[in-house]
Amino acid sequence: MRLYDYELSGNCYKIRLFLSILNKSFDTQTVDFYPGREHKTEAFLALNPLGQLPILEDAGQVLSGSDVILSHLAAQYDASQKWHPQNLRGDISKWIHVADEITKTASAARLHDTFFYDLNIDTARAGAKKVFRSLDEHLWFAEQRGHDWLVPAAHPTIADIACFPYVALSEEGGISRQDYPAIRRWCDRIKRIDGFLPMPGVFPTSKAA
Amino acid sequence: MYVDFSQWYPIASSSDLPLRHVYQGQLWGRELAVWRADDGHVNVWENRCLHRGVRLSIGLNEGRELRCIYHGWRYANRTAGCTYIPAHPADAPARTICNNTYQCIEAHGLVWSAIAPEADLTLPVALDDTMPLALRPMPISAPLSEVKKMAWDYPFGAVIDQDSKCLTFQSSDARLHLFIQPVDAGRTILRGLLSPTPADPIEAMQHHNDAMTALRDRIELAVAGAPPPAAIDVQFAPVAKELAEMPDRAPAGPKVELRTKVVRKWQVANQVIAYRLESIGGQLPTAHPGSHIDVSLPNGMSRQYSLTNGPGETDHYTIGVKRDSASRGGSICLQDDVQEGDVLAISAPHNNFSLRRDAVKTILIAGGIGLTPMLAMAQALKVQDLPFELHVFVRLKNDLAFPNLLDELGGSVVPYIGLSSEVTGGAIADIVGNYTLGQHVYICGPGPMLEAARGMAANAGWPDSAVHFEYFKNTNDIDDSTSFEIALARSALTLQVPAGKTILQVLQENGITAPSSCEQGACGTCLMTVIDGEPDHKDVYLSSSERASNQKIVTCVSRSKSQRLVLDI
Amino acid sequence: MKLACDDPVILNQWHPLSSFDEIAVGATHHTVLLEQPVSYQMTSVGDVSVWLRDDISCALPLKRAYGFLWTCLGTPPDDIFPIFELDEPDRQNVATGVFGVNVSFGRAIENFLDMGHFPFVHAGILGEEPHTEVKEYDVEVSESRDEIMATRCRFYQPQASLASEAGADVDYVFRVPHINCALLYKSSPGYEAEGRMDVIYMFLQPMGPEWTRAHTGMCVIDMDNSYEGIRYFQQVIFGQDKSILENQRPKRLPLDTRAETPIRADKSAIAYRRWLTTKGLTYGVIPAL
Repeated sequence: MRLYDYELSGNCYKIRLFLSILNKSFDTQTVDFYPGREHKTEAFLALNPLGQLPILEDAGQVLSGSDVILSHLAAQYDASQKWHPQNLRGDISKWIHVADEITKTASAARLHDTFFYDLNIDTARAGAKKVFRSLDEHLWFAEQRGHDWLVPAAHPTIADIACFPYVALSEEGGISRQDYPAIRRWCDRIKRIDGFLPMPGVFPTSKAA
Repeated sequence: MYVDFSQWYPIASSSDLPLRHVYQGQLWGRELAVWRADDGHVNVWENRCLHRGVRLSIGLNEGRELRCIYHGWRYANRTAGCTYIPAHPADAPARTICNNTYQCIEAHGLVWSAIAPEADLTLPVALDDTMPLALRPMPISAPLSEVKKMAWDYPFGAVIDQDSKCLTFQSSDARLHLFIQPVDAGRTILRGLLSPTPADPIEAMQHHNDAMTALRDRIELAVAGAPPPAAIDVQFAPVAKELAEMPDRAPAGPKVELRTKVVRKWQVANQVIAYRLESIGGQLPTAHPGSHIDVSLPNGMSRQYSLTNGPGETDHYTIGVKRDSASRGGSICLQDDVQEGDVLAISAPHNNFSLRRDAVKTILIAGGIGLTPMLAMAQALKVQDLPFELHVFVRLKNDLAFPNLLDELGGSVVPYIGLSSEVTGGAIADIVGNYTLGQHVYICGPGPMLEAARGMAANAGWPDSAVHFEYFKNTNDIDDSTSFEIALARSALTLQVPAGKTILQVLQENGITAPSSCEQGACGTCLMTVIDGEPDHKDVYLSSSERASNQKIVTCVSRSKSQRLVLDI
Repeated sequence: MKLACDDPVILNQWHPLSSFDEIAVGATHHTVLLEQPVSYQMTSVGDVSVWLRDDISCALPLKRAYGFLWTCLGTPPDDIFPIFELDEPDRQNVATGVFGVNVSFGRAIENFLDMGHFPFVHAGILGEEPHTEVKEYDVEVSESRDEIMATRCRFYQPQASLASEAGADVDYVFRVPHINCALLYKSSPGYEAEGRMDVIYMFLQPMGPEWTRAHTGMCVIDMDNSYEGIRYFQQVIFGQDKSILENQRPKRLPLDTRAETPIRADKSAIAYRRWLTTKGLTYGVIPAL
């Protein structure tokens, strides 16, 4: 299995994180996304015409799009079958949509502030505020009902993996999480999942009691 | 704009403070790092590490201490005192490195604090008998004044009371206290307490969450036209002058300056009595593993005792005192004359025996009551999951002090009971026999045991810098019949040291600031540098190579072989 | 036209705008320097011009140095600080990325000079617990060259070289030849015996008092051996530092000695703050009381 990866990409991190949790080994092909723009080279575009990362090569298939890759990994390598269980797929896919919304807003703000992408920063931040408010409310009530994760199950799912990175990196786009205490607690819980892996900008937390 | 720093406000919900989490709060523009320690105590600290200003809310709550994410500095529960600086593992941090704290009270499911309170917190009496339900807090991007105005329209019964921080609503069967917390100039949080707790709490919380969300949206729409107000300007207080200069190890004499009460006195071993001391006024200063306090005894003597406290146990000091009939009488006085309820004057903690936390493995060797500082060390190492062994040598099984603590420390504790001195020597030789890079050994116990252990460690290849020791007593006989001269190079002064007086005494009598602690040649506090002359070492502190180099002298006991010593002070 | 910044100390300096790699021929590029919108352009024959965006007639001085385009909003110094290693014929100089960070340039410089955070912020890369000790090092402020040097710096690095599994102390030299530029010198892999060092640098463009554009690059001997490793270093290390830097308060660097608590490991930072005070800098810092 080979992952085409860039260290500072939140979408690539979703895959690295999940693979670490699944304790699955893989080869990494680091793509010089920045500053080399290697993902726009012909060689790379041959792999993914959209020129986007991450890309996963596994057992003859070439998969792109972090959601697609996460589902594939859960199907192939999750022995517990708890990360993407059949009975929760509807709920999980709703959260995958939320993850896309988070990417459009919080990740965009980060691209603007950190990498100088030319886009409307106020729109991005306002959009992130809306999503985060809704996410915080959902997580707060989930906690009241005794649930730790996005989908009401005793075990985290790929919904949590998909939403986590750009939430955890939001401050790099000028979006503070101070007003979202339930989100902050959920981030701590994710960091305590066995096999959790950090990335630049996402630090480990202390051990649970 | 209106500000009232004296006012108490709720700044978090109890449910915002699960174990091992740090909540990021703010009041009147001042950011707060709020965390619950494993012992339940809630800490409200300025959200800024004094080292380089990094937010403590992104720090790590390790249960007993909060660790700053930048350089790993550790701050104790309650005191916010720094207990360890990883960049300088051998040096105990200056006692005064302490983050700024705010008072706090936890009541009715909320955590209350104030920036500069002038009085105690007074809560609505109505809350006392009911079991209120803390609702989901609602942050609003609008100034306090706007929120206070528009919150009157909250759809729940009618307003029956209001004060500067709370609107009280009464419906047919419930009361809602709606607290309005000023976060910053343009941000406010609504925190509601509903009493009594309804039959279906989640349904009620959902209902009020929807109502508060609608209120929030109305308020934010109302202020949407105006530009957001500038954030409240927050000035950070300067650090204490002595911290601003580049510090060396802070020398300190034994000033007995704290008043404590003996809250508990109990037997923990044959001849060993433990004392739990709690402060009479104010928070006790931060201690770190290996610290000791000077205790002022009723008979006028003063004695040092090591603290056995584990990390974050900052609301008391515990010491263990062994009865020693052959001593000058300090332990007997303590054991016989000091009872529960008595007041004891003590010094703040000093540390000449501080614990490094960067060892690959730490070996602790304790003889008899030398166990006490080791207990503090072992607990700190255990809490941080750092590898250690604690070897305790005693004559009888009942001599093992603090057996409950030893049990909790589990398999890392190895007791040796009733060994003869040869067998003890062999055991210690085995313990220190396998030196590898990165190990450190700490030894505390009777003089002969320490001498033997230090010698064996040196033979087994331990470098001096990896061997740490604390003597309880200097059992050598000291012949102070010589007289000689000391020249103080930097003070341009020459003094005579007559028979019967020590260098330290002569310095202090002549107004020279000369720190000291044990005054027995054991702790090294009074160490000075020798520029010229040949010291006559009477101490037990220096290593043999240090003695041979003749560049250091322990001024409270050592003397001179040459007619003159030149000291670098 | 009146400039937003009025501090002559920082105005009368060369500041980086862009590496030449990033300048697309023919296009007009826009950026911000000291709160002033600035534009620049390069023609197909390599002519470069820089001007104030709001006043196209106001041309700004420009300099090409070390693969970067520099400009000045005041009176520029005659020369820019030297990097002697660049004169060595077997060297290659490569830009490794530019990043925005919401903090003052002074905070970013201090972070670049600091080793104590290696085992915490860069765990597993530049440092690792329990090897947290910052051993004594030397700091010199050279008045003749007007720069700060920190030498005899060493810190334990896990997997000190690609060849070995084991960790070891790595030697560093840090150099601050400009109020917002810093360089780090590290043994060049394969050239340790000759004592030759690779240079890793950070040229900061102060966009505002609390907003910085960090241009990173390296000047190395063996590009094949060094490029990937150092590029990773610049990206990952910077990404890790960014989130810490953006959580420092105040964002401006406080120059007063009683603002924060230094320890012996902070010797170079203390020298840097004093140096800035001596220069009379007021922009992006909180001057001493």
